[in-house]
Amino acid sequence: MKIDIEKLKKIVGSENVSDDIADLYVYASDASVHHALPSAIVRPKTIEHVQKIMRYANKNKIPIVPRGAGSGTSGHTVPIDGGIILDMKRMNKIIDIVPTDMLVRVQPGVVDDDLNRALKPLGLFYPPAPASSRIATIGGEIAANASGVRSVKYGATRDYVYGMKVVLANGDLVNMGANTRVHSSGYQLERLIVGSEGTLGVVVEATMGIRPIPKYRCLAVANFDKLEDAGNTISDIISSGCEPSMLELMDKIGIVAVNKAMDLGLKEVGAIILFEADGNVKDAVDFEIEKMKKICKKHNGTDIKKSYDLAERTKLFSGRKKLFAALSRYKEGIICTDLADDMGVPNSKIAEAAAKIHEIAKKNNVIMAVYGHCGSGVIHTKIMLDPKKKSQWKDAENVIEELYDYIHSVGGVTSAEHGIGLSKAPPWKKARPDLIPVMRKVKKALDPNNILNPHKIMDAPDDWVGATNLRYKVG
Amino acid sequence: MGKIGDLFYIKGNKKFKRSKKWEGELNKCIRCGYCYELCPLFKTNNWESDTPRGKLLLIYGMINGEIEPSQEIVDKIFQCFYCKNCSDNCSAGVPVTEILTDARADLIEQGFEVLGTLVTIDEDLCSVCGICVPLCKYEALSIEPDGKDKEKIVVDKVECRGCGLCVSACPSGAITQKEGCEITLPELHKKVEELIKEHGKKLVVFACNWSMFPGMQLSESPILVKTEYGIIVSMCSGRVAPELILKAFEGGAWGVMVAGCPPEECDHDGNYKTRRRLVLLKNILKELNINPKRVKLEWISTGESAKLQNEINGFSKEIEKMGPINKIEVSKEIGG
Repeated sequence: MKIDIEKLKKIVGSENVSDDIADLYVYASDASVHHALPSAIVRPKTIEHVQKIMRYANKNKIPIVPRGAGSGTSGHTVPIDGGIILDMKRMNKIIDIVPTDMLVRVQPGVVDDDLNRALKPLGLFYPPAPASSRIATIGGEIAANASGVRSVKYGATRDYVYGMKVVLANGDLVNMGANTRVHSSGYQLERLIVGSEGTLGVVVEATMGIRPIPKYRCLAVANFDKLEDAGNTISDIISSGCEPSMLELMDKIGIVAVNKAMDLGLKEVGAIILFEADGNVKDAVDFEIEKMKKICKKHNGTDIKKSYDLAERTKLFSGRKKLFAALSRYKEGIICTDLADDMGVPNSKIAEAAAKIHEIAKKNNVIMAVYGHCGSGVIHTKIMLDPKKKSQWKDAENVIEELYDYIHSVGGVTSAEHGIGLSKAPPWKKARPDLIPVMRKVKKALDPNNILNPHKIMDAPDDWVGATNLRYKVG
Repeated sequence: MGKIGDLFYIKGNKKFKRSKKWEGELNKCIRCGYCYELCPLFKTNNWESDTPRGKLLLIYGMINGEIEPSQEIVDKIFQCFYCKNCSDNCSAGVPVTEILTDARADLIEQGFEVLGTLVTIDEDLCSVCGICVPLCKYEALSIEPDGKDKEKIVVDKVECRGCGLCVSACPSGAITQKEGCEITLPELHKKVEELIKEHGKKLVVFACNWSMFPGMQLSESPILVKTEYGIIVSMCSGRVAPELILKAFEGGAWGVMVAGCPPEECDHDGNYKTRRRLVLLKNILKELNINPKRVKLEWISTGESAKLQNEINGFSKEIEKMGPINKIEVSKEIGG
């Protein structure tokens, strides 16, 4: 692919363009199992930069892959057709904080935690809180419709997007949405961009809703000997009308992993549930916590601890916060791969799905931890395997097929908060053939030359193992 | 649609005898990227290839023969201050800096020119006084024979951590580091000037990378810049040469604070040098009719960012009371 590097340098400055292998090789991957080299990395700073790059790419039919922190788990930013990686991290300005309107205007490269650091002195926060909030950019969160630990009460990214400026494939700048929490003025195009994984346009500015920080937060933890009991507790908490601001599950595999990685000394029981309530009236927070404690006890929950203290809450939550990476330490010789990582299931199916995941893993010779924001129906897993053995990748393929067949059969979704990208495309396409032609028409209307993050979601290859090089050396 | 997976990898055949053993650990890295947050180099350069994750990727690619080592890759691998924020905080427990050290040794053995964040010695300026040699906790500097009857200072390019203590201690100015990572004396001078002249800061705070885990990562906020103080993060408090403090006063600063790790906690033992240096500097300040109370040294441990903030706030108030530097303030206030 011939790319005019000099032209790109003229647009953004020579220090913001690279076609050196040292950069190409690094930008070839994200947190997924995939790896494919781009042809160039370009770092725009202004909307005009993005427009000029898009016009050039559209004219020459060069793929453009917008990228935030590169913390995606399904290969969204892995450029399987090569082309230009548009590193958006330099567009990192918090343009405006408007407490009177309860909104912020940000550039896409603003880091989630940075936004919350800026909001905190004003008694405000931006709620979605994905686990990767320390590096994840708002643009990336919009692209994936990210959610997190507090989404059970506060919702996902889509619930905070009021409006956005988007550069389309042809370089046109479009102002979508509004400055208000609701609007009913034509197509909700800003909602269409949420979760589009960089395939429809490049978000160059976003207007996002914010909320006041509640005065009280109380976090509690309960142990369960049986994973099934923990799963049923979660379902019961949600269906009985409790209002947790966090409801997290962590199974024994997860507990053992964080103990090994972080020496936390957690009791290695069947499962742990973390639940939090927040609000401005302490009695109301207490009421919620006590109600949830009762449900835990009903399902044989033990060792229940609660705390309002920030340091204590941080300690109680530390294992869950770092679980994703800690899973790598579960057992020598196996590693943690980002596959089948974020399915969503109906509330009534949490315990059943958790048991099914362990059953399918055992049958196929891999290990899978079960954890996640189960209060909002998100079950996180990771497939832990020996990456050097070719047969283990076949095992992983079998797991994915069986597991998603089950998830879809009970009314669940392929991805709850990480997106489809490459690795989750085959099961998603199998489950939603009705959506594929409609989504292709939308894509064609906005990006007729198919330059924006091509061959992802509905256009991704059916073979995720062969779609790109695997980041691991197999054999 | 191009052929998917059709990559232009070069199958390398260079020897990586030390780094090869880390392949298992490199597989344990889940590439979550959380190490970005903690990397001072990434905050300076903002290229993903400067992050710990990026370096591990490059090493992985080289040891598996997917990429051929090049000078550009070598430059990336040799850019690291060994603050170990990444390895200390990696939930997957990947020993990033140990892997990096072995890769460096392999690349040196392959004959690459290496510079990165390492120090270099200008032999024309160096008098081989040897002051720098005992300063280095990692024994990266030594006096070696240089032909017959001559000696020279030699840098161990695997052991040098790039802290720059020797740079600030060399009386001849013979030790330097490459510009571009915001650590050289000229770059630090420029930063001091920018804070005072362009941003109107009254108080300049030098915080070491361990004491000061900068609040904001990469984002720019219009709200958070409205402070009376500006923070310059250096690799060690021992890196704060007295001339930088004098430069701040010369530029119009009302006060200077140096935050370093408490005694016995410094990775480079630079804090002892800072303490002695500031005692001497305060005497010089008296001679210059500048109240020595305008310079404050504080010990801040890793994770004590709240304490640092309190100290900065407290010192800001003291400085506010003192006002701008008055020519006769020493004789008036402390009878000097």
